[in-house]
Amino acid sequence: MAVGAHQGLNRVREIYQDRPQRARRLNTEGNKVVGYLCIYSTVEIMTALDLVPYRIFGDMRETITKADAHMPTTVCPFLRSCLDLGLKGKYDFLDGIIVAHACDVTHRIPSLWGTLVRTPFSHFMDVPHTVHEGALEKQKGLLKHLHKSLESLAGKELSPSRLKEAIEAHNRQRALVRELYDLRKPDPPLISGTETLQVVVALMSLPVEEGSELLREVISEVKERKDGPTKKAARLLTWGSIIDDTAIIEMIESLDANVVMDDNCVGSRAYFADVKLTDDPLDGLAYRYLAELKCPRTFREDALGRAGKDYIASLENRYSYLGGYARDWRVGGALLQSVRYCDTHGYEVPSVKDYLASTGLPSIYLEHDYSEGALAPLRTRVQGFLEVIG
Amino acid sequence: MYALRALSDQTYQAGREAKEAGRPVVWCMADVGFYGPILNALDIESVYPENYGPVCAAAVAAEVFLNRCEAEGFPNNMCGYMRNCIGYTARMMDLGGEIPPEAPRGGMPKPTLLLSAGVTCDSRFKAFQALGRYLDAPMWVLEYPSLGTAESLMEGAYEREIVFLIKEVRELIAFLEGQVTKKMDWDKLEETIEGTKEMQEVLHQINELRKARPCPMHARDWFSSMNASLYRAKDPGAVTELYRKMYDEVKYRVDNKISGINREEKYRVAMSGIPPWHTMEFFDQLADKGWNFVNEGYHAGRPRDVNLSGISDPVERFVRRRYPDIRQYIEQDYRPDEANRIIGEIRQRGSSRRLSHSNIRDYQIDGVFLHSVLTCRPATASLYQVQSEVMEMWKVPCLVIEGDIVDTRLFNLADALRKAEAFEETMDYYRKVRKEEGLEW
Repeated sequence: MAVGAHQGLNRVREIYQDRPQRARRLNTEGNKVVGYLCIYSTVEIMTALDLVPYRIFGDMRETITKADAHMPTTVCPFLRSCLDLGLKGKYDFLDGIIVAHACDVTHRIPSLWGTLVRTPFSHFMDVPHTVHEGALEKQKGLLKHLHKSLESLAGKELSPSRLKEAIEAHNRQRALVRELYDLRKPDPPLISGTETLQVVVALMSLPVEEGSELLREVISEVKERKDGPTKKAARLLTWGSIIDDTAIIEMIESLDANVVMDDNCVGSRAYFADVKLTDDPLDGLAYRYLAELKCPRTFREDALGRAGKDYIASLENRYSYLGGYARDWRVGGALLQSVRYCDTHGYEVPSVKDYLASTGLPSIYLEHDYSEGALAPLRTRVQGFLEVIG
Repeated sequence: MYALRALSDQTYQAGREAKEAGRPVVWCMADVGFYGPILNALDIESVYPENYGPVCAAAVAAEVFLNRCEAEGFPNNMCGYMRNCIGYTARMMDLGGEIPPEAPRGGMPKPTLLLSAGVTCDSRFKAFQALGRYLDAPMWVLEYPSLGTAESLMEGAYEREIVFLIKEVRELIAFLEGQVTKKMDWDKLEETIEGTKEMQEVLHQINELRKARPCPMHARDWFSSMNASLYRAKDPGAVTELYRKMYDEVKYRVDNKISGINREEKYRVAMSGIPPWHTMEFFDQLADKGWNFVNEGYHAGRPRDVNLSGISDPVERFVRRRYPDIRQYIEQDYRPDEANRIIGEIRQRGSSRRLSHSNIRDYQIDGVFLHSVLTCRPATASLYQVQSEVMEMWKVPCLVIEGDIVDTRLFNLADALRKAEAFEETMDYYRKVRKEEGLEW
């Protein structure tokens, strides 16, 4: 390989290990950086107003200390970690935060963050839980308020043409991510699950065009390299709550398994649905962000009032895309995981398992407390699972 | 109070009778007062699994259902009410849809419909969605806004939510009419709404009486009597009459300085969160020591008159009475200059201290019991924030005790009482601090 090979992947690793680096520099150069907690926050509006969207993550490797004084240990450890990092000044470069109604604890974050971390600007989006027609209309209304609110932070008005450009830019990035994911279809995959996660984390730390440029470089490198992942006995899909640290994926891939696909929000959930270009861009945004994102925080039914009437039809409606992933990425098993106290995913587990079983795909469920130390006993269980499906 | 509890028992009986007679029965989630009047107007029986959770807990009968839920593959840290419900349902379906013989209070009948809510917590719709594994009952989710306070004050926000709720309620009614092949009785809906308002007004007045020293009514009595206001009042008129009798009794106690704990009131304590239904003797034992629990977090506040002039659409009239306009409330309750300050504070900080925790002052609270419910995120996530704010604003200490609403394994009564004993010194100390700071109690 030529000198300077893997520059893209090396840069990804560098960003992954020091995420705020670029955002801090942009901030000191006078750009406003807006943190957001989940994929229901509309990054296109931020980009269109020349704000830098920056996904807020926790840190599995940092012991939660300061947040313990403010949040009981019996709530989501990921969100406690995010608050902990905020309290420790790790997010002092943020000019604002956007929080969407992802779950019960996220709902309470703006109040806590505002009082304790004191990021100057915050906006909470009460994203509906259903995809009823009225909910879509409300979602559009929420987006109007979001952009009004962000206009005050940005000090400028949002122009429809800029919004359209931003939508196209983010859609282009999503298409690139899907292209990257296609490189996980061969056996062995051309890029590991660990590397893929590093790429996605890097993208969520950069302005969209910078991220896309980096991603093109990575895709080109991955296609050409000869030192990619090795063939292993198992090809796995991961499902569940946030995985923002490679520790879990590394643990799995240290065994006889490649993680070739995911259904997580630092992964396919964020990138596998585009915004349709509609006459009023807010229509396309409202639809994508409410109806298309595959997170179980949204209640889906195949038709109004039909949920519960036919369990199998309901499972198909909610999870058939997983069947598609399993088929297209030639998955041999699914690793379902969630952080402890995640109600959104916890209630889903038996249904997801039922669906996967109906397709013949074996699965295992692991619950963890979002700490590196908790992974050792999980490794044994994954090993056992691999032996069963082997 | 006992008559009120009897009314609550009757709902389970009515549900079972409806099932036997082939009439529809709904399992319903508590919402903020939408379902009750609609179900009354369509004459559909309902039971509330969220109420059945405490019933099972109080009867110390929840364990079998909790264990079954875990055996079904659900994590054991999810809502105790819902784990009880899921386990109960799985057990019921083992028996072909028959009520488990071990179910307390006669059990909940197998539902025809599930009415879920998107308000207050995710478990409300996620758990009912999970029941699809066992039941073939159609499910509806009625969404309800949960805007941030600052966001709710943005121009057009309130009207947007009204439009949204009107659409939601219309769709709900159309769905229910289709399920029960019966048309909405709009007159009965209006009658129930008015009746419920009157009921809530009497309950509010009872709660106002509890500001007296000594407090005439302890939390145990409140919890026993609040069912109709929290869930559904099938006959608001009958409930209102019982509440009026309760008012008279409480007023008598105020006039004669009779304490709700029938002994000297040494400490006035507020309860924040959901109580440990399985071990309510916790409150009794503390009452023996002079702890009078005078305020809880279950109060809807004073029912408001809403200007509906010019609005003839019954759905819109209903929605406007159920979804409060926070700005209007602030402007009604405070002088114009104060109201502007509060609204300014909210816009800047996202909340206003003036609006929070006024109950601490109004009820002259010496200490707050914060029940850190290990399986309820909404009830628990902000507890430490409450603790800091109450101390900062009112110099009132909080006692945090971990436990659960249904699962006895998670609450240690002896340990809780030990902590409470030590907390008395803390409450005594902060009485002195408040005196030094010029606070009135």
